[in-house]
Amino acid sequence: MNPFPKHRPSHAAELSGQDSNLPAFYGLPEDVKYCSVCTLSNQRPASAVEYQHDRETKKVTVPIDDGVCDACKIHRMKHGTVDWSEREAELRELCDRYRRTDGKPDCVVPGSGGKDSIYAAHLLKHKYGMHPLTVTWAPHIYTPWGWENMQAWIHAGFDNYLFTPNGLVHRLLTRLSVETLYHPFQPFIIGQKLFAPVLAAELGIPLVFWGEPEAEDGNPIAEYGTSEQDWKYFASEDRDNITLSGVKIGDLKETYGLTEQDLKPYLPVDPQILADAKIDVRYMGYYELWHPQNNYYYAMDHTKFKPAPERTAGTYGKYSGIDDKIDDFHYYTTYIKFGIGRATYDTAQEARNEDLTRDEAVDLVQRYDGEFPERFAKDCFDYMSVPESEYPVASKMFEHPEMNRDYFEMLTDHFRSPHLWRKGDKGWELRHACWMDGHLPKPT
Amino acid sequence: MVFRVIPRLDIKPPNLVKGINLEGVRKLGNPTDFARRYYEDGADELFYQDVVASLYGRKGFMELVTHTANELFVPLTVGGGLRKLDDIQKALRHGADKVCLNTQAVTQPEFIREASAKFGNQCIVVALEVVPYRDGRGWEPLFNNGREHTGLDAEEWAHRAVELGAGELLVTDIHSEGTKRGFDFEFGDRLVKELNVPIVLHGGAGSPEDVVKAADRGYSGVAISSILHYEKTAIHDIKESLEKAGITVRR
Repeated sequence: MNPFPKHRPSHAAELSGQDSNLPAFYGLPEDVKYCSVCTLSNQRPASAVEYQHDRETKKVTVPIDDGVCDACKIHRMKHGTVDWSEREAELRELCDRYRRTDGKPDCVVPGSGGKDSIYAAHLLKHKYGMHPLTVTWAPHIYTPWGWENMQAWIHAGFDNYLFTPNGLVHRLLTRLSVETLYHPFQPFIIGQKLFAPVLAAELGIPLVFWGEPEAEDGNPIAEYGTSEQDWKYFASEDRDNITLSGVKIGDLKETYGLTEQDLKPYLPVDPQILADAKIDVRYMGYYELWHPQNNYYYAMDHTKFKPAPERTAGTYGKYSGIDDKIDDFHYYTTYIKFGIGRATYDTAQEARNEDLTRDEAVDLVQRYDGEFPERFAKDCFDYMSVPESEYPVASKMFEHPEMNRDYFEMLTDHFRSPHLWRKGDKGWELRHACWMDGHLPKPT
Repeated sequence: MVFRVIPRLDIKPPNLVKGINLEGVRKLGNPTDFARRYYEDGADELFYQDVVASLYGRKGFMELVTHTANELFVPLTVGGGLRKLDDIQKALRHGADKVCLNTQAVTQPEFIREASAKFGNQCIVVALEVVPYRDGRGWEPLFNNGREHTGLDAEEWAHRAVELGAGELLVTDIHSEGTKRGFDFEFGDRLVKELNVPIVLHGGAGSPEDVVKAADRGYSGVAISSILHYEKTAIHDIKESLEKAGITVRR
């Protein structure tokens, strides 16, 4: 039996005539609620430990209590109880402990050359006198301006290690992730999270700085308030029970023709290796008030960073997340699965930071969220195709190895959750959206 | 011809805002306060651009125009969200002296002809917000505040806009806009040489010397924002530099 048939049912279509008792996929809350400060709903999943992720995984989502989401509550803390001068002193003390003057880098800054990694690396070097080594896990398919910004970062005064994963392997894993989880970014997320701490251990540079704490963008509030990253994201003692792209590691080798070397960049690292190297992973956003728009201004002032020469598909913005052609599809899939597309993520952040009013944010969501990403569709479909000529073993597992628009639409409808979608006379429509009436608690 | 120094105020009602490369706008304060300061410091014109009109219509912009026109006795050009002849009529009634068109002009070029026939060429400014094509074949005018492609050749489009009745062109080099690194003259210079309408240059002014360079190259004026909003310089300083360079300015 072929694991990936070319026709799969759409439960959301079948249940379109029904208005109650609708199943919620992915363990999402059945009752959809919206934050009254930003545009997020309670369907926003938190970052997950991807190795246990399959279709049945029950997502942890952002709670919205008293009409305010956790991300907005953290924002209030950032502008209320947090003492930023104390945080700066903590960072100075940390840097003093690790700073080297013998010519060897004293910290690793993972990033893409976007505004946030430019800000983190530049600040560490010029404000805190550190000697960062920047490291990059390459995007799936660079946009031309993404590649230029990466160069602009390096040419602003940084050494960089760029790791580009084996294209055949990364493409197959991406395709599998779309088939099993409708999540084209999963292999990237895994590889990118692993790469920096593992390389840091190999190079003997224990201090690693990420940018924004995950909680600021909607992870559980309990994770906020610490500068250290939880090792659960990239270390595991249990290698036998893990899945990658929704497929068991053993199956990837036996059925899909992948080897240990192919999989190594994606497999969790033995925590003992990180412990022996005394790896210390921190978030810059814990120490410095993180405001994406400020980071954009900083990048424009200090480097030759340039925003994209067009808005990103599915949103209005030009300055964030612009380096990877597949990014458009990542946010399209979150729109389908959770009702939360790129414009929702962008406006939620900007409304929270008061760059937009909530009314403006809601209008932008209504206008742009869920726009199909035509601009790079052909490149992305080619990327996710697994023809027999390139994949003599793995292609046999797909009834339709080519990825094209029709096949992608079939998958799209298959992954729509019935509690969020209905198919009417005019096509698919959301059952809930922040711009619809009646989705906010009444003002008191 | 007197060279014009034109403060440009990007407005997201009710605030004055400013971005970089037409992106990431910051709120800076009450537009009227800034406009008054520039008027008192010798602005030759004011330019008001509603930067969110094409994203989401917001009320309050025309009230600002009226308020400014009633208080400050300086020519006022207004742009943003003007899609119909009635919109232009409304802007003029509210006190604008000229209107600036982009989105509607590139998507419906005949609109320029209709507008200039009805209101006169002197009243119709066409904005070109350009980025270079990546393959080096020239420049592309964008619309929707630098978000959407037209696929047009900006130079050809400028000629067409003038043939259709544009009385003035406002040229923005998007990659310079908001950077304060100086103007990029490459595209605008072609229009100055080829066209017989006033060309106003916008995007990148970082100092009075940059403005002098634009005047020397034959531009009719400059539209400037960041250096004024962030108080890097003042209009009277710019005019002093222009005069020292032998350029006629209004005092």
